[in-house]
Amino acid sequence: MPQTVELRDAWLPAGLPARVELAAVPFFPQDEYQCGPAALATVLANAGVTITPADLVPQVYLPARQGSLQVEMLAAARRNGLVSYTLPPTYTALLRELAAGTPVIVLQNLGIFSGWHYAVAVGYDFEAGELFLRSGETARKVMNFGMQEFFWRRGGYWSMVALPPGRIPVSAEEGRWLDSLLAFEKQGNQQKNVLNFSAFLQRWPDNTTAAIGLANAHYALGELGAAEGVLREAARRDPASVPVLNNLAQTLSDLGRNAEALPIIERAAAQPGRYAEEVGKTRETILQRLNAAKDAGRAPR
Amino acid sequence: MSAAKTILCRLLIALMAWTPFQLAQAGMIGAGQTAAAPQAQRDAVSAFLARADVARELQALGLDPAAAQARVAALSDEEIRAIAGDMRGLPAGGTIEGWILAAIVVAVVWYIFWGQYKQKR
Repeated sequence: MPQTVELRDAWLPAGLPARVELAAVPFFPQDEYQCGPAALATVLANAGVTITPADLVPQVYLPARQGSLQVEMLAAARRNGLVSYTLPPTYTALLRELAAGTPVIVLQNLGIFSGWHYAVAVGYDFEAGELFLRSGETARKVMNFGMQEFFWRRGGYWSMVALPPGRIPVSAEEGRWLDSLLAFEKQGNQQKNVLNFSAFLQRWPDNTTAAIGLANAHYALGELGAAEGVLREAARRDPASVPVLNNLAQTLSDLGRNAEALPIIERAAAQPGRYAEEVGKTRETILQRLNAAKDAGRAPR
Repeated sequence: MSAAKTILCRLLIALMAWTPFQLAQAGMIGAGQTAAAPQAQRDAVSAFLARADVARELQALGLDPAAAQARVAALSDEEIRAIAGDMRGLPAGGTIEGWILAAIVVAVVWYIFWGQYKQKR
């Protein structure tokens, strides 16, 4: 059990309390084979979503497999309004999330006795070397680190968290957290997308993709002025980004400022790369609108 | 069913499963589009077909067509790629724990491993 040995030798990772227990995390006893819905309901309800395991069965349970796939656990959390994230495969990440107050779903393989199982880690006692879990029909299962690792390593130390929009897991890595937000973005809830990308940019201000995400969410909400502000800032930091220039030009055009938009889209059109099609369309729109304005100006009164 | 019909059916399923993924914002380039590697963009067609495959596999594993589509729609392209073609082999967490014997053995080993160590500190 390499990670357990490492933990034991290095002792408590810096900054973590010796003992954490998230006692307020609810418990849903599992029905037959349905630890997926039960584990997911536990973290969703803890985050304030009104839900039961039965509501989640049609979203994650696969009858012929008598279980739930990992990607569907992540997807179902998003369907219910939370951003899901696969933790780095380490004990330290797991303990840090618990210390930050976030319950963690872990995938275990129970070996020769049975098969794959989801449980929810809700705390630990480092001195004793024990983890506390909501698991199956047990509200507070105490499992030592070594045994957890034995069950956990066969699934590649897989674990996930699900957080309300605007919050960032303490173990988040920039690129993978951005992927989580982009997967969530497709739910189409733009207020939540604004919260997510704003929080992301506070932590990683130079990320152009996140700026585009934030601006697009503002744009979709009809907040064109806010979209313009975000894109101008992004264009200042990353002047060669074609998507930023294209979206800024489009936004300005929609604000009726086509003369201002034209030189910006021309800059994008000079080297559009793989966005040639989108840039071409935006440019055409702007030119059409400019011409229409000209014609309207010339029209006889 | 003729080959042409099979292809048509696959396309229709893919189209239905794909619909929620079109962020309808004329003129704006999506953040997801910029994040995807150029390679992934070239693979858009295969991702499209993988969606249809996953929808079909979900049905084969016991879901009705509407539920299968809703679930496919909730998955990202990366997630679709991760499970397409392997949905019978991937871990599917579902069992109730049944580890009592193992627990006793491990608890004894554990005491020696961590408990003794703790006392030494």
